[in-house]
Amino acid sequence: MRNPMKDQVAIVGVGTTGFARDMGERSSKALACEASIAAIRDAGLAGKDIDGLVGPIEPMGASTHMMAAALELQNVRHHSSPMPVAMFGLIDAVNAVFAGSCDTALVYYSYQRLPWNSRSAAKDPFRRFSMGPIPMPESPNPSTAYTTWASRYMHEYGTTREDFGRVALNMRANALRNPIAVMQKPLTMEDYLQARMIRDPLCMLDMDVPVDGADAFVVTTLEKAREMTDHPVVVHATAVGLADNDEDQVRSLRRHGQHIVVNALRRKSDVWIDDVDVFFPYDGFSVITLSWIENFGFAKEGQGGRFLQEHWDDTRGAAMIHGRVPLNPHGGSLSEGATRGSGHVREAVLQLRGDAGPERQVEGAKTALIGCGGFFFNAQGAILRRL
Amino acid sequence: MPETIDDATLVERFPWAQIDHDSKRHFRGWLEEKLLINRCDDCGQMHHPPKPVCPKCWSQSLRPTEVSGRGTIFMAMLLRQGPPAEGVDYAMGPHPVVTVDLEEQEGVRFTSTVIDCPLEEIVPGLEVETVWIQRSGSPFPVFRKREGRS
Repeated sequence: MRNPMKDQVAIVGVGTTGFARDMGERSSKALACEASIAAIRDAGLAGKDIDGLVGPIEPMGASTHMMAAALELQNVRHHSSPMPVAMFGLIDAVNAVFAGSCDTALVYYSYQRLPWNSRSAAKDPFRRFSMGPIPMPESPNPSTAYTTWASRYMHEYGTTREDFGRVALNMRANALRNPIAVMQKPLTMEDYLQARMIRDPLCMLDMDVPVDGADAFVVTTLEKAREMTDHPVVVHATAVGLADNDEDQVRSLRRHGQHIVVNALRRKSDVWIDDVDVFFPYDGFSVITLSWIENFGFAKEGQGGRFLQEHWDDTRGAAMIHGRVPLNPHGGSLSEGATRGSGHVREAVLQLRGDAGPERQVEGAKTALIGCGGFFFNAQGAILRRL
Repeated sequence: MPETIDDATLVERFPWAQIDHDSKRHFRGWLEEKLLINRCDDCGQMHHPPKPVCPKCWSQSLRPTEVSGRGTIFMAMLLRQGPPAEGVDYAMGPHPVVTVDLEEQEGVRFTSTVIDCPLEEIVPGLEVETVWIQRSGSPFPVFRKREGRS
Protein backbone atom coordinates (compact mmCIF):
# COMPACT_ATOMS: atom_id res chain seq x y z
CA MET A 1 0.00 0.00 0.00
CA ARG A 2 1.51 3.33 -1.06
CA ASN A 3 2.24 6.03 1.51
CA PRO A 4 4.30 8.73 -0.24
CA MET A 5 3.28 11.41 2.30
CA LYS A 6 4.75 9.45 5.19
CA ASP A 7 6.43 11.91 7.61
CA GLN A 8 6.25 14.71 5.02
CA VAL A 9 3.58 16.92 6.63
CA ALA A 10 3.75 18.34 10.16
CA ILE A 11 1.30 19.71 12.70
CA VAL A 12 2.96 22.91 13.93
CA GLY A 13 0.20 24.70 15.80
CA VAL A 14 -2.59 23.79 18.20
CA GLY A 15 -5.22 26.01 19.78
CA THR A 16 -8.27 25.35 21.89
CA THR A 17 -10.96 27.25 23.77
CA GLY A 18 -11.32 24.47 26.31
CA PHE A 19 -14.72 22.86 26.74
CA ALA A 20 -17.74 23.48 28.88
CA ARG A 21 -21.39 22.58 29.04
CA ASP A 22 -22.07 26.25 28.50
CA MET A 23 -19.57 28.74 27.09
CA GLY A 24 -21.96 31.63 27.57
CA GLU A 25 -23.40 33.77 24.83
CA ARG A 26 -20.85 32.98 22.15
CA SER A 27 -21.43 31.83 18.61
CA SER A 28 -19.80 28.75 17.15
CA LYS A 29 -17.94 31.11 14.83
CA ALA A 30 -16.55 33.05 17.79
CA LEU A 31 -15.22 29.83 19.36
CA ALA A 32 -13.70 28.77 16.03
CA CYS A 33 -11.98 32.15 15.70
CA GLU A 34 -10.53 31.98 19.21
CA ALA A 35 -9.08 28.47 18.72
CA SER A 36 -7.82 29.34 15.23
CA ILE A 37 -6.03 32.51 16.33
CA ALA A 38 -4.46 30.55 19.19
CA ALA A 39 -3.27 27.81 16.81
CA ILE A 40 -1.81 30.26 14.28
CA ARG A 41 0.01 32.13 17.07
CA ASP A 42 1.14 28.85 18.65
CA ALA A 43 2.85 28.09 15.33
CA GLY A 44 4.48 31.53 15.37
CA LEU A 45 2.60 32.47 12.20
CA ALA A 46 0.15 35.16 11.11
CA GLY A 47 -2.92 35.24 8.89
CA LYS A 48 -0.88 35.96 5.78
CA ASP A 49 0.89 32.61 6.18
CA ILE A 50 -2.33 30.59 5.95
CA ASP A 51 -3.16 29.47 2.41
CA GLY A 52 -5.35 26.48 3.19
CA LEU A 53 -8.54 26.36 5.25
CA VAL A 54 -10.42 23.25 6.32
CA GLY A 55 -13.47 23.32 8.58
CA PRO A 56 -15.68 20.25 8.96
CA ILE A 57 -19.40 20.84 8.64
CA GLU A 58 -21.05 21.17 12.06
CA PRO A 59 -24.50 22.42 12.97
CA MET A 60 -24.25 26.21 13.41
CA GLY A 61 -20.56 25.93 12.54
CA ALA A 62 -18.47 28.52 10.76
CA SER A 63 -18.10 27.98 7.01
CA THR A 64 -14.68 28.41 5.45
CA HIS A 65 -15.78 31.63 3.74
CA MET A 66 -16.99 33.04 7.07
CA MET A 67 -13.65 32.17 8.66
CA ALA A 68 -11.61 33.64 5.82
CA ALA A 69 -13.65 36.85 6.19
CA ALA A 70 -13.46 36.94 9.99
CA LEU A 71 -9.69 36.37 10.11
CA GLU A 72 -9.00 38.30 6.89
CA LEU A 73 -7.13 35.39 5.32
CA GLN A 74 -6.19 36.85 1.96
CA ASN A 75 -4.23 34.00 0.43
CA VAL A 76 -6.44 30.93 0.76
CA ARG A 77 -6.00 28.70 -2.30
CA HIS A 78 -7.33 25.45 -0.87
CA HIS A 79 -10.43 25.10 1.28
CA SER A 80 -12.91 22.38 2.06
CA SER A 81 -15.67 21.39 4.44
CA PRO A 82 -15.45 17.64 5.07
CA MET A 83 -17.85 15.54 7.12
CA PRO A 84 -17.66 15.74 10.90
CA VAL A 85 -15.31 13.63 13.03
CA ALA A 86 -11.83 15.02 13.30
CA MET A 87 -9.72 12.95 10.96
CA PHE A 88 -11.58 13.82 7.75
CA GLY A 89 -10.52 17.45 8.14
CA LEU A 90 -6.98 16.65 9.19
CA ILE A 91 -6.50 14.15 6.35
CA ASP A 92 -7.79 16.64 3.79
CA ALA A 93 -5.39 19.30 5.07
CA VAL A 94 -2.45 16.87 5.10
CA ASN A 95 -3.21 15.69 1.58
CA ALA A 96 -3.61 19.26 0.34
CA VAL A 97 -0.25 20.30 1.81
CA PHE A 98 1.47 17.19 0.47
CA ALA A 99 -0.02 17.67 -3.01
CA GLY A 100 0.97 21.35 -3.08
CA SER A 101 -2.61 22.63 -3.15
CA CYS A 102 -1.46 24.82 -0.27
CA ASP A 103 1.58 25.13 1.98
CA THR A 104 0.10 25.90 5.38
CA ALA A 105 -3.46 24.96 6.29
CA LEU A 106 -5.62 25.96 9.23
CA VAL A 107 -7.97 23.16 10.33
CA TYR A 108 -10.68 24.23 12.75
CA TYR A 109 -13.38 22.34 14.63
CA SER A 110 -16.15 24.11 16.48
CA TYR A 111 -18.88 22.44 18.49
CA GLN A 112 -22.12 23.72 19.95
CA ARG A 113 -24.63 21.74 21.97
CA LEU A 114 -27.80 21.29 20.00
CA PRO A 115 -31.10 22.47 21.47
CA TRP A 116 -32.09 18.90 22.37
CA ASN A 117 -28.72 18.16 24.03
CA SER A 118 -29.21 20.32 27.07
CA ARG A 119 -31.68 22.60 28.79
CA SER A 120 -29.44 25.65 28.56
CA ALA A 121 -28.84 25.07 24.83
CA ALA A 122 -32.60 24.86 24.29
CA LYS A 123 -32.93 28.28 25.90
CA ASP A 124 -30.66 29.86 23.31
CA PRO A 125 -33.05 30.77 20.49
CA PHE A 126 -30.17 31.37 18.08
CA ARG A 127 -29.61 27.62 18.01
CA ARG A 128 -32.97 26.96 16.40
CA PHE A 129 -31.37 26.92 12.95
CA SER A 130 -29.66 23.64 13.76
CA MET A 131 -33.00 21.89 13.96
CA GLY A 132 -33.25 19.30 11.23
CA PRO A 133 -35.94 16.67 11.11
CA ILE A 134 -36.10 14.75 14.37
CA PRO A 135 -35.74 11.01 13.72
CA MET A 136 -38.25 8.43 14.86
CA PRO A 137 -37.24 6.40 17.95
CA GLU A 138 -36.69 3.41 15.68
CA SER A 139 -34.54 5.21 13.09
CA PRO A 140 -31.22 3.36 12.84
CA ASN A 141 -29.21 6.59 13.01
CA PRO A 142 -25.79 6.29 14.62
CA SER A 143 -26.98 6.94 18.19
CA THR A 144 -29.43 4.08 18.03
CA ALA A 145 -27.13 1.88 15.97
CA TYR A 146 -24.18 2.12 18.38
CA THR A 147 -26.48 1.05 21.16
CA THR A 148 -27.98 -1.88 19.28
CA TRP A 149 -24.49 -2.97 18.22
CA ALA A 150 -23.40 -2.62 21.87
CA SER A 151 -26.16 -5.04 22.86
CA ARG A 152 -25.03 -7.42 20.10
CA TYR A 153 -21.44 -7.09 21.38
CA MET A 154 -22.59 -8.07 24.88
CA HIS A 155 -24.57 -10.97 23.43
CA GLU A 156 -21.73 -12.37 21.34
CA TYR A 157 -18.90 -11.99 23.86
CA GLY A 158 -20.59 -12.08 27.24
CA THR A 159 -19.48 -8.50 27.91
CA THR A 160 -20.65 -7.05 31.22
CA ARG A 161 -21.61 -3.49 32.07
CA GLU A 162 -18.43 -3.34 34.17
CA ASP A 163 -16.44 -3.81 30.94
CA PHE A 164 -18.03 -0.68 29.49
CA GLY A 165 -17.73 0.99 32.89
CA ARG A 166 -13.94 0.66 32.84
CA VAL A 167 -13.89 2.74 29.66
CA ALA A 168 -15.82 5.50 31.45
CA LEU A 169 -13.64 5.26 34.58
CA ASN A 170 -10.43 5.42 32.53
CA MET A 171 -11.53 8.61 30.78
CA ARG A 172 -12.76 10.27 33.97
CA ALA A 173 -9.58 9.55 35.94
CA ASN A 174 -7.54 11.01 33.07
CA ALA A 175 -9.80 14.06 32.74
CA LEU A 176 -9.07 14.93 36.38
CA ARG A 177 -5.52 15.70 35.20
CA ASN A 178 -6.76 17.92 32.38
CA PRO A 179 -7.91 21.38 33.46
CA ILE A 180 -9.85 22.04 30.22
CA ALA A 181 -11.93 18.85 30.56
CA VAL A 182 -15.62 19.39 31.24
CA MET A 183 -15.95 16.51 33.74
CA GLN A 184 -13.92 17.17 36.89
CA LYS A 185 -15.63 14.92 39.44
CA PRO A 186 -14.11 11.53 40.32
CA LEU A 187 -16.12 8.52 39.16
CA THR A 188 -16.39 5.10 40.79
CA MET A 189 -17.70 1.85 39.34
CA GLU A 190 -20.61 2.14 41.74
CA ASP A 191 -21.41 5.60 40.32
CA TYR A 192 -21.23 4.17 36.82
CA LEU A 193 -23.58 1.27 37.54
CA GLN A 194 -26.10 3.62 39.15
CA ALA A 195 -25.98 6.24 36.38
CA ARG A 196 -29.14 7.06 34.50
CA MET A 197 -29.96 4.52 31.81
CA ILE A 198 -30.59 6.32 28.52
CA ARG A 199 -30.40 3.87 25.67
CA ASP A 200 -30.41 0.56 27.49
CA PRO A 201 -27.88 -1.19 27.72
CA LEU A 202 -25.96 2.09 27.50
CA CYS A 203 -26.22 4.60 30.31
CA MET A 204 -25.44 8.32 30.37
CA LEU A 205 -21.76 7.61 31.12
CA ASP A 206 -21.33 5.40 28.02
CA MET A 207 -21.98 8.38 25.75
CA ASP A 208 -19.89 11.49 25.20
CA VAL A 209 -20.70 14.78 26.90
CA PRO A 210 -22.18 17.50 24.67
CA VAL A 211 -20.08 20.66 24.98
CA ASP A 212 -19.40 24.04 23.47
CA GLY A 213 -15.84 24.69 22.38
CA ALA A 214 -13.36 24.62 19.55
CA ASP A 215 -10.01 23.16 18.56
CA ALA A 216 -7.73 24.25 15.73
CA PHE A 217 -4.52 23.04 14.13
CA VAL A 218 -1.95 24.39 11.72
CA VAL A 219 -0.53 21.90 9.25
CA THR A 220 2.46 22.59 7.00
CA THR A 221 5.27 21.01 5.02
CA LEU A 222 8.08 19.18 6.78
CA GLU A 223 10.48 21.71 5.27
CA LYS A 224 8.72 24.66 6.89
CA ALA A 225 8.26 22.74 10.15
CA ARG A 226 12.01 22.14 10.32
CA GLU A 227 12.52 25.90 10.30
CA MET A 228 10.29 26.16 13.38
CA THR A 229 11.51 23.25 15.52
CA ASP A 230 14.12 20.53 15.67
CA HIS A 231 11.53 17.91 16.50
CA PRO A 232 8.41 18.42 14.41
CA VAL A 233 5.32 16.30 14.96
CA VAL A 234 4.64 14.63 11.61
CA VAL A 235 1.81 12.61 10.17
CA HIS A 236 3.18 9.12 9.58
CA ALA A 237 0.07 7.45 8.16
CA THR A 238 -3.65 8.06 7.90
CA ALA A 239 -6.66 6.05 6.76
CA VAL A 240 -10.42 6.14 6.75
CA GLY A 241 -12.76 3.18 6.46
CA LEU A 242 -16.22 3.18 4.97
CA ALA A 243 -18.45 0.28 5.92
CA ASP A 244 -20.16 -1.26 2.92
CA ASN A 245 -23.67 -1.09 4.32
CA ASP A 246 -26.10 0.95 6.39
CA GLU A 247 -25.80 1.07 10.17
CA ASP A 248 -28.19 -1.75 11.00
CA GLN A 249 -27.05 -3.82 8.01
CA VAL A 250 -23.29 -3.79 8.72
CA ARG A 251 -22.02 -7.32 8.28
CA SER A 252 -20.73 -8.06 11.76
CA LEU A 253 -18.66 -6.80 14.67
CA ARG A 254 -15.72 -8.31 12.83
CA ARG A 255 -16.27 -6.50 9.55
CA HIS A 256 -16.94 -2.77 9.55
CA GLY A 257 -15.16 0.55 9.01
CA GLN A 258 -12.59 0.06 11.78
CA HIS A 259 -11.19 -3.05 10.08
CA ILE A 260 -10.52 -1.15 6.86
CA VAL A 261 -8.72 1.57 8.86
CA VAL A 262 -6.57 -0.87 10.84
CA ASN A 263 -5.59 -2.86 7.76
CA ALA A 264 -4.59 0.29 5.85
CA LEU A 265 -2.72 1.91 8.75
CA ARG A 266 -0.77 -1.24 9.43
CA ARG A 267 0.32 -1.61 5.82
CA LYS A 268 1.25 2.07 5.47
CA SER A 269 3.25 2.37 8.71
CA ASP A 270 6.80 1.55 9.74
CA VAL A 271 5.64 1.20 13.34
CA TRP A 272 2.87 -0.73 15.02
CA ILE A 273 1.18 -1.17 18.36
CA ASP A 274 4.30 -2.25 20.31
CA ASP A 275 5.93 1.04 19.29
CA VAL A 276 3.02 3.18 20.47
CA ASP A 277 3.67 5.48 23.45
CA VAL A 278 0.21 6.95 23.74
CA PHE A 279 -3.05 5.48 22.41
CA PHE A 280 -6.22 7.34 21.44
CA PRO A 281 -9.16 4.98 20.96
CA TYR A 282 -12.24 7.11 20.19
CA ASP A 283 -14.93 7.05 22.85
CA GLY A 284 -18.06 8.71 21.54
CA PHE A 285 -19.68 5.50 22.81
CA SER A 286 -17.86 3.15 25.20
CA VAL A 287 -18.38 0.18 22.85
CA ILE A 288 -16.36 1.98 20.16
CA THR A 289 -13.36 2.17 22.51
CA LEU A 290 -13.38 -1.55 23.28
CA SER A 291 -13.66 -2.27 19.56
CA TRP A 292 -10.64 -0.10 18.71
CA ILE A 293 -8.60 -1.83 21.42
CA GLU A 294 -9.50 -5.20 19.91
CA ASN A 295 -9.30 -4.27 16.24
CA PHE A 296 -5.84 -2.70 16.57
CA GLY A 297 -4.75 -6.03 18.07
CA PHE A 298 -4.10 -4.98 21.66
CA ALA A 299 -6.67 -7.58 22.75
CA LYS A 300 -8.49 -10.51 21.19
CA GLU A 301 -11.99 -9.87 19.85
CA GLY A 302 -14.51 -9.44 22.60
CA GLN A 303 -11.73 -9.13 25.21
CA GLY A 304 -11.32 -5.34 25.28
CA GLY A 305 -12.97 -5.05 28.68
CA ARG A 306 -10.82 -7.79 30.18
CA PHE A 307 -7.75 -6.14 28.62
CA LEU A 308 -8.51 -2.88 30.44
CA GLN A 309 -8.93 -4.83 33.70
CA GLU A 310 -5.62 -6.66 33.22
CA HIS A 311 -3.79 -3.43 32.45
CA TRP A 312 -5.49 -1.37 35.15
CA ASP A 313 -3.25 0.89 37.19
CA ASP A 314 -4.93 1.24 40.59
CA THR A 315 -2.86 4.23 41.67
CA ARG A 316 -3.80 6.08 38.54
CA GLY A 317 -7.38 4.86 38.48
CA ALA A 318 -6.99 4.24 34.76
CA ALA A 319 -5.53 1.69 32.38
CA MET A 320 -1.83 1.78 31.44
CA ILE A 321 -0.96 -0.74 28.75
CA HIS A 322 2.03 -2.73 30.07
CA GLY A 323 2.28 -0.07 32.77
CA ARG A 324 3.46 2.40 30.15
CA VAL A 325 0.85 3.49 27.59
CA PRO A 326 -2.20 5.53 28.65
CA LEU A 327 -5.47 5.56 26.71
CA ASN A 328 -6.83 9.05 26.00
CA PRO A 329 -4.78 10.78 28.72
CA HIS A 330 -6.82 13.99 28.17
CA GLY A 331 -10.04 12.26 29.20
CA GLY A 332 -11.47 11.53 25.76
CA SER A 333 -14.90 12.46 24.49
CA LEU A 334 -16.51 10.83 27.53
CA SER A 335 -14.90 13.22 30.01
CA GLU A 336 -13.02 16.02 28.26
CA GLY A 337 -16.04 16.61 26.05
CA ALA A 338 -17.56 15.50 22.76
CA THR A 339 -14.93 16.86 20.40
CA ARG A 340 -15.52 14.22 17.72
CA GLY A 341 -11.83 13.39 18.01
CA SER A 342 -10.24 16.82 17.73
CA GLY A 343 -9.39 16.57 21.44
CA HIS A 344 -7.66 13.27 20.77
CA VAL A 345 -5.59 14.82 17.97
CA ARG A 346 -4.74 17.87 20.12
CA GLU A 347 -3.58 15.71 23.03
CA ALA A 348 -1.56 13.50 20.67
CA VAL A 349 0.28 16.55 19.32
CA LEU A 350 0.87 17.99 22.81
CA GLN A 351 2.17 14.62 24.06
CA LEU A 352 4.57 14.28 21.10
CA ARG A 353 5.80 17.85 21.59
CA GLY A 354 6.36 17.14 25.28
CA ASP A 355 3.87 19.89 26.13
CA ALA A 356 1.15 17.86 27.90
CA GLY A 357 2.21 19.11 31.33
CA PRO A 358 3.66 17.24 34.33
CA GLU A 359 0.35 15.57 35.24
CA ARG A 360 -0.24 13.87 31.89
CA GLN A 361 3.00 13.84 29.92
CA VAL A 362 4.19 10.41 28.76
CA GLU A 363 7.93 10.72 29.11
CA GLY A 364 9.72 10.71 25.79
CA ALA A 365 6.58 10.01 23.77
CA LYS A 366 7.51 9.51 20.12
CA THR A 367 4.57 7.65 18.58
CA ALA A 368 0.85 8.25 18.97
CA LEU A 369 -1.86 5.99 17.57
CA ILE A 370 -5.33 7.44 17.00
CA GLY A 371 -8.40 5.38 16.16
CA CYS A 372 -11.11 7.91 15.52
CA GLY A 373 -14.80 7.58 14.75
CA GLY A 374 -16.88 4.46 14.93
CA PHE A 375 -18.07 1.53 12.86
CA PHE A 376 -20.01 2.92 9.93
CA PHE A 377 -19.12 5.90 7.78
CA ASN A 378 -16.58 7.73 9.92
CA ALA A 379 -14.00 5.16 11.05
CA GLN A 380 -10.58 6.75 10.65
CA GLY A 381 -7.12 6.56 12.08
CA ALA A 382 -3.68 8.12 12.14
CA ILE A 383 -0.22 7.54 13.44
CA LEU A 384 1.62 10.70 14.45
CA ARG A 385 5.33 10.75 15.24
CA ARG A 386 7.88 13.09 16.73
CA LEU A 387 10.97 13.29 14.53
CA MET B 1 -37.79 48.85 25.33
CA PRO B 2 -36.01 47.25 22.40
CA GLU B 3 -32.68 46.91 24.29
CA THR B 4 -34.28 44.78 26.89
CA ILE B 5 -36.27 42.35 24.74
CA ASP B 6 -34.98 38.84 25.19
CA ASP B 7 -33.25 36.80 22.51
CA ALA B 8 -36.34 34.69 21.78
CA THR B 9 -38.41 37.79 21.08
CA LEU B 10 -35.64 39.19 18.90
CA VAL B 11 -35.69 36.03 16.81
CA GLU B 12 -39.49 36.35 16.48
CA ARG B 13 -39.18 39.94 15.31
CA PHE B 14 -36.83 38.94 12.46
CA PRO B 15 -37.99 35.46 11.45
CA TRP B 16 -36.13 35.62 8.13
CA ALA B 17 -32.71 36.45 9.66
CA GLN B 18 -30.12 34.01 10.97
CA ILE B 19 -29.34 36.05 14.06
CA ASP B 20 -26.55 34.82 16.34
CA HIS B 21 -24.61 36.11 19.34
CA ASP B 22 -22.38 38.09 16.96
CA SER B 23 -25.25 39.97 15.31
CA LYS B 24 -27.94 40.21 17.99
CA ARG B 25 -26.99 43.74 19.12
CA HIS B 26 -27.19 44.96 15.52
CA PHE B 27 -30.72 43.62 15.10
CA ARG B 28 -31.72 45.16 18.43
CA GLY B 29 -30.49 48.41 16.91
CA TRP B 30 -32.83 47.94 13.96
CA LEU B 31 -35.79 47.88 16.35
CA GLU B 32 -34.75 51.43 17.35
CA GLU B 33 -34.12 52.31 13.71
CA LYS B 34 -30.38 52.55 14.29
CA LEU B 35 -27.93 51.16 11.76
CA LEU B 36 -25.06 49.65 13.79
CA ILE B 37 -21.75 48.62 12.25
CA ASN B 38 -18.97 46.88 14.19
CA ARG B 39 -15.97 49.04 14.99
CA CYS B 40 -12.81 47.64 16.61
CA ASP B 41 -11.93 49.34 19.91
CA ASP B 42 -8.27 48.48 19.43
CA CYS B 43 -7.52 49.46 15.83
CA GLY B 44 -10.58 51.47 14.81
CA GLN B 45 -11.34 49.34 11.76
CA MET B 46 -15.00 48.83 10.86
CA HIS B 47 -16.38 45.66 9.33
CA HIS B 48 -19.70 44.25 8.18
CA PRO B 49 -21.47 41.84 8.51
CA PRO B 50 -20.76 41.41 12.24
CA LYS B 51 -17.90 39.04 13.01
CA PRO B 52 -16.67 37.71 16.37
CA VAL B 53 -13.19 39.20 15.92
CA CYS B 54 -11.77 42.20 14.11
CA PRO B 55 -10.58 40.81 10.77
CA LYS B 56 -7.70 43.27 10.70
CA CYS B 57 -6.13 42.85 14.15
CA TRP B 58 -8.03 39.82 15.60
CA SER B 59 -9.15 41.78 18.66
CA GLN B 60 -12.38 40.71 20.32
CA SER B 61 -13.13 44.26 21.54
CA LEU B 62 -15.80 45.16 19.04
CA ARG B 63 -18.38 47.88 19.43
CA PRO B 64 -21.57 48.03 17.36
CA THR B 65 -21.46 51.70 16.39
CA GLU B 66 -24.26 53.78 14.92
CA VAL B 67 -23.41 55.11 11.48
CA SER B 68 -24.95 57.99 9.57
CA GLY B 69 -26.58 55.71 7.04
CA ARG B 70 -25.22 57.87 4.23
CA GLY B 71 -23.18 56.48 1.40
CA THR B 72 -22.70 55.93 -2.30
CA ILE B 73 -24.08 53.12 -4.43
CA PHE B 74 -21.17 50.81 -5.21
CA MET B 75 -23.14 48.34 -7.32
CA ALA B 76 -26.76 47.75 -8.20
CA MET B 77 -29.11 45.23 -9.78
CA LEU B 78 -32.79 44.84 -10.57
CA LEU B 79 -34.69 41.78 -9.39
CA ARG B 80 -37.38 40.89 -11.91
CA GLN B 81 -38.30 37.80 -9.96
CA GLY B 82 -37.19 36.60 -6.55
CA PRO B 83 -38.22 35.50 -3.07
CA PRO B 84 -41.53 36.79 -1.75
CA ALA B 85 -41.36 39.66 0.75
CA GLU B 86 -43.87 42.03 2.24
CA GLY B 87 -44.25 45.10 0.07
CA VAL B 88 -42.41 43.56 -2.87
CA ASP B 89 -44.47 42.80 -5.98
CA TYR B 90 -42.36 41.78 -8.95
CA ALA B 91 -45.42 42.01 -11.22
CA MET B 92 -45.53 45.74 -10.54
CA GLY B 93 -41.94 46.22 -11.77
CA PRO B 94 -38.37 45.27 -10.95
CA HIS B 95 -37.16 45.46 -7.36
CA PRO B 96 -33.77 47.19 -7.02
CA VAL B 97 -31.03 45.77 -4.80
CA VAL B 98 -28.02 47.96 -4.12
CA THR B 99 -24.76 47.67 -2.24
CA VAL B 100 -23.78 50.97 -0.68
CA ASP B 101 -20.31 52.09 0.37
CA LEU B 102 -20.91 53.67 3.78
CA GLU B 103 -19.33 57.08 4.23
CA GLU B 104 -17.64 56.14 7.52
CA GLN B 105 -15.10 53.80 5.90
CA GLU B 106 -14.36 52.94 2.30
CA GLY B 107 -15.10 49.33 1.50
CA VAL B 108 -17.57 48.79 4.34
CA ARG B 109 -20.83 48.18 2.53
CA PHE B 110 -24.45 47.57 3.31
CA THR B 111 -26.86 45.91 0.92
CA SER B 112 -30.57 46.73 0.76
CA THR B 113 -33.09 48.25 -1.66
CA VAL B 114 -33.77 51.82 -2.84
CA ILE B 115 -37.18 53.41 -2.57
CA ASP B 116 -38.78 56.43 -4.22
CA CYS B 117 -36.22 56.64 -6.99
CA PRO B 118 -36.50 56.27 -10.78
CA LEU B 119 -34.88 52.95 -11.76
CA GLU B 120 -32.55 54.58 -14.32
CA GLU B 121 -30.92 56.64 -11.57
CA ILE B 122 -30.01 53.57 -9.50
CA VAL B 123 -26.43 53.19 -10.69
CA PRO B 124 -22.98 53.25 -9.05
CA GLY B 125 -22.09 56.69 -7.78
CA LEU B 126 -25.57 57.74 -6.65
CA GLU B 127 -25.45 59.25 -3.18
CA VAL B 128 -28.04 57.76 -0.84
CA GLU B 129 -29.15 57.80 2.79
CA THR B 130 -30.88 55.29 5.02
CA VAL B 131 -34.58 55.42 5.78
CA TRP B 132 -36.56 52.83 7.68
CA ILE B 133 -39.57 50.95 6.37
CA GLN B 134 -41.64 48.23 8.03
CA ARG B 135 -41.06 44.72 6.75
CA SER B 136 -42.91 41.79 8.39
CA GLY B 137 -43.73 43.99 11.38
CA SER B 138 -40.21 45.20 12.15
CA PRO B 139 -38.09 48.13 11.00
CA PHE B 140 -35.97 47.41 7.93
CA PRO B 141 -33.26 49.76 6.62
CA VAL B 142 -33.48 50.83 2.99
CA PHE B 143 -31.94 53.66 0.99
CA ARG B 144 -33.27 56.67 -0.83
CA LYS B 145 -31.57 59.25 -3.02
CA ARG B 146 -30.09 62.18 -1.10
CA GLU B 147 -31.85 65.31 -2.21
CA GLY B 148 -29.79 67.73 -4.22
CA ARG B 149 -27.22 65.02 -5.00
CA SER B 150 -26.54 63.01 -8.10
